[in-house]
Amino acid sequence: MTTMGERSGVGLVELAILEALDARRAWHNRRPVSCLKLLLALEDGIGLARGYAYQVLIDQTLPWKLPIPLIEGQGNFGGRGNDPPASAYYTEARLSPAGEVALSAERGEIAPIPIGLINGNTNRQGTRPPFRPTAVIEAVRQVLRRPRLTAKQIADIIGPPDFLTGCTVTGDLAGLIAGRRTELGLQARVTVTDAAQVKARVAKAAIPGYPAPQIHQRDVGRLVIVLENFPPYVNTDEIAASIDKRAQEYAWKTRYPELGEQAGLPIKYLADLTARDDYWFVCVPDAGTPAEVLRDQLMDVYGVTIYVSVGLPRPLATMIRTWTRTHQHEDLNASLTALESALASRHQKRLMARP
Amino acid sequence: MSEVALARPGLPVVVLAAGVLAADQVSFLLVGSAALWLRGEPVTVGDVDVAIEPSEPNLRRLHEALMRLAVRPDTIAPVHRLRELSVATAITPYGRVDCLLERGRQDWYRLSQTAGYVAVADAPVLVASAADAWALRRRFKK
Repeated sequence: MTTMGERSGVGLVELAILEALDARRAWHNRRPVSCLKLLLALEDGIGLARGYAYQVLIDQTLPWKLPIPLIEGQGNFGGRGNDPPASAYYTEARLSPAGEVALSAERGEIAPIPIGLINGNTNRQGTRPPFRPTAVIEAVRQVLRRPRLTAKQIADIIGPPDFLTGCTVTGDLAGLIAGRRTELGLQARVTVTDAAQVKARVAKAAIPGYPAPQIHQRDVGRLVIVLENFPPYVNTDEIAASIDKRAQEYAWKTRYPELGEQAGLPIKYLADLTARDDYWFVCVPDAGTPAEVLRDQLMDVYGVTIYVSVGLPRPLATMIRTWTRTHQHEDLNASLTALESALASRHQKRLMARP
Repeated sequence: MSEVALARPGLPVVVLAAGVLAADQVSFLLVGSAALWLRGEPVTVGDVDVAIEPSEPNLRRLHEALMRLAVRPDTIAPVHRLRELSVATAITPYGRVDCLLERGRQDWYRLSQTAGYVAVADAPVLVASAADAWALRRRFKK
């Protein structure tokens, strides 16, 4: 068994899971294997506790947690709300095309690939954020071609961290790229629109034979607020509960009116319209509250905006240059092409479909 | 400690969670980035860290307040666990609140000597001095 993920940057536990899948011939074009059996084998083989290993396995299947899922899961691996994944007894897994490429790189069958750099580890409360896969691959290619590429040029190619759900990233991005520890704000998209547009979107997502939720049938011109593209790593049901709680009357409001004024949210009602992996809410402001005012207040609710502590061990350009220089004697172009082909495959694209 | 200073404008919403705890009569001392912000330091406030006064009635008040405040009350530790835990975390609609129980047990007296009240909205919140807040941050945050 491989002991280090030096050639792909994949973590040791992740790698152990990939190896175990490979040993059971659970390749992307073969039948998946039972997660329970896989976890038992890992426990027997390397003593990895199954509860922890299952968490890592689940993370590797979720497209809103990692830019490149290395495992394809079959069964219920949980949603972004309160619905937990099913027990390992009921789920199955196999390698994704990218997972197979990562294993090949680890075994020295192909040159190294920068999956660790792309995926980062903020999904497991680490500090390294994820980046766009194609951008990182392109940056490595450019450095191979033009070793004197400046740090700014490399950073421009890679761009800001990509937190997958389409949330807005704010904060000291230049500091992050320069290798400093910093806090980034991840913000959901909060927009003001009219009820007619919401109604049309609900109707479009409706499942035939099931009634669609009723949204402001009487006044379709009324302005409402749509919340979507929530930051990753936040439970969407908790966001709804947070908004609801802020909207409620609260005991201290009478004791400290000013506090209540600042903290309360003038909401008439909140509807969670999540359907088919499209996570979105609609807020209707109280009569007399302009929608734009409520929109600004909603931005402050926990979950709508979160802060993540991020940092890279070295400046991003240095990391790319060092990685490229360390492995330049190998055929990096071929391994990057293999990774690109895996990412472009229909199978992997389906796994990477963003929420 | 009796005088109450006013918080500077642009209060991060997460700090309101400290105001709510204060309004619920919980005895605590604000440390961490929120304390530094209230002391005028240029920091980003991601969460609220509060050192809790380690008396039994206060732990009961804390438990009740967190049960009302938390998004998921079922995740709040019961009072007997609060006596032993080092940190209790609550996710609130304002943001994350870390209750530093062990820090309160060890340093409550020392930290409160140099702390002062700052009005968060209308609620008086006891805030650690900038020197103490920086010292704790340097000690525990990389």
